[in-house]
Amino acid sequence: MTMAARSVRWVMRQHWTFIAGLFSGTVVVLLLVAAPVISLHDPIAQDLSMRLQGPGGDHWLGNDQLGRDLWARLLYGGRFSVVVAALTLFLSVTIGTLIGAWCGRIGGAVDEFVMRVVDVLISFPEIIVALFLIAIIGPGFGTLVLALTLVGWTPFARLARGIALDISSRDYIAAAEVLGCTRTFILLRHVIPNALRPISAMTFLRFGHKLITVGALSYLGLGVQPPDSDWGAMLADARQFAVRQPLLVFAPGIAIMVTALSVTLMGQGLEIDADRSRRLRTGQS
Amino acid sequence: MLAWRANLPAGAMERFLLKRAIVLVVTLTLVSFLAFLVPWLGDADPARAIIRSRVADLALDSAAVEALRIRLGLDQPLLHQFFAWLGRVFQGDLGLSFTSRLPVADQILRAIGVSATLALSALFLALAIALPVGTLAAVHQGRRFDGIVTFIAQGFVSIPEYWLAPVLVLLFAVELGWLPSAGWSGFETLILPAAVLCLRPLAYFSQVMRASMIDVLHANYILAARSRGLGLAGALVRHGLRNGIQPVLTVFALWLAGLLGGSVVVEVIFAIPGMGRLIYSAVINNDMPMLQGSIICIVGLAIIINTAADVLYGVLNPTVTVSGDAR
Repeated sequence: MTMAARSVRWVMRQHWTFIAGLFSGTVVVLLLVAAPVISLHDPIAQDLSMRLQGPGGDHWLGNDQLGRDLWARLLYGGRFSVVVAALTLFLSVTIGTLIGAWCGRIGGAVDEFVMRVVDVLISFPEIIVALFLIAIIGPGFGTLVLALTLVGWTPFARLARGIALDISSRDYIAAAEVLGCTRTFILLRHVIPNALRPISAMTFLRFGHKLITVGALSYLGLGVQPPDSDWGAMLADARQFAVRQPLLVFAPGIAIMVTALSVTLMGQGLEIDADRSRRLRTGQS
Repeated sequence: MLAWRANLPAGAMERFLLKRAIVLVVTLTLVSFLAFLVPWLGDADPARAIIRSRVADLALDSAAVEALRIRLGLDQPLLHQFFAWLGRVFQGDLGLSFTSRLPVADQILRAIGVSATLALSALFLALAIALPVGTLAAVHQGRRFDGIVTFIAQGFVSIPEYWLAPVLVLLFAVELGWLPSAGWSGFETLILPAAVLCLRPLAYFSQVMRASMIDVLHANYILAARSRGLGLAGALVRHGLRNGIQPVLTVFALWLAGLLGGSVVVEVIFAIPGMGRLIYSAVINNDMPMLQGSIICIVGLAIIINTAADVLYGVLNPTVTVSGDAR
């Protein structure tokens, strides 16, 4: 069986929420990637004669307060937030899983210390950390990624540690230790693969919140910096013109919601799958 | 102390509480040291920053900077300065704000009160809806009602506040004229921000309540109560709710800690003079004493609330937490 056919069969076995989320999420990603091909206009080209125009002609969604094409801005605007959210999650998952699994395996004072750090950071709002970092090192792409990763790794560490503790009590780990496998080998060969399903579910479930937080900082003028723009910044610009051209407010808002919801649905599907496979493995009904 | 109730080894509860207290003090000291370092982490020299915030003139008088540096003790060793500063913090002196020239501590105290009112209103609103909805979803587990509740919860989590807030203002303040669009002057100004802020915790609370009530429904004491002739509703209200609600209360504490500073966007949009807006304007104005003060308050409160929730949970469920901890 080819790789493609196998992936299709894997997808079809998943819960319907995963398939629905995968479909709309793929559409969003394709739109963002193909932005230069799909949009007929430059997202920053101003045309004051077209100010606040409604949909029509070759401006599919109309124009904003400076006469810029809304559809083009929507497509290009998604790129910043989605890339920041995805990159942050990738870093958080990698760091969190490694730290958590490692702490769960070694235990002791290091484990105790790291988990206390996690306790403190986990309840800490990401937006506040981002604001403090912006005050110290200034706004920008790097600041956002750093700020969101700084607290973002903690839930993954807690989850990975729990799984590592659970697995450590199994006979096959004792067997591997008796056979002389190193700690790193056991971690990479047994602990991490077992943690993959729940970790990936959590990754998808966290995406929406990251996306909204990035948008919030841009809305406050502390995220994306001009001339670049994103959905949050577009919402901030559109506020005064909401009554005259409601689409300026609705379009970016709906874009954020659809993107966040698709990824969340995928996460929920994966979580159901992770639960099912855990029950199968542990033999619970 | 309470150990006899759970057949814990002698002194286990005391050790648990002592450990939490030590961790509390250590983390608070670390956090205040970090807060103290904030002005040094940026590129700006604190003495220069202070003078620049007072004088618009870009060419700084280096003699004035030097004089201020000596007056503020900035020429002393860093650790020496830290302890002097920490001493002042313990007396409630967080310095003067660069921009308003008023004591930071007073402003923070007022803002915390406002944020706490807002956060508690939103969270209690969320709790009032989430408890019955989560319980019903658990009773109907796997059926249509359950699916709809889960889907709506995910929808709520995906709505950005900075979109919902302007839309609600447009609808209820501009179009219908029922509620004020912004400000902080009584119950009416609380309704819209609390409604916007409650959606996300509502989604989480209802899902936690659902999961916890599913466990409760399968518990033996519910079976026992029902076999004594109690209806499902009666058994749940009299025996189930008390156990089912505990995980929700833990999440409640986490959210409270998070919302005390984390409702930045809602506070800015509705012009509410809370912690979130205070921190936001401190960032915009580079107001270092205000930032230091807010870090200490926000992080300190988060740590204290978390520790309190943890200890409370340990006292309520000694066998789970305390004996697991003493391992």
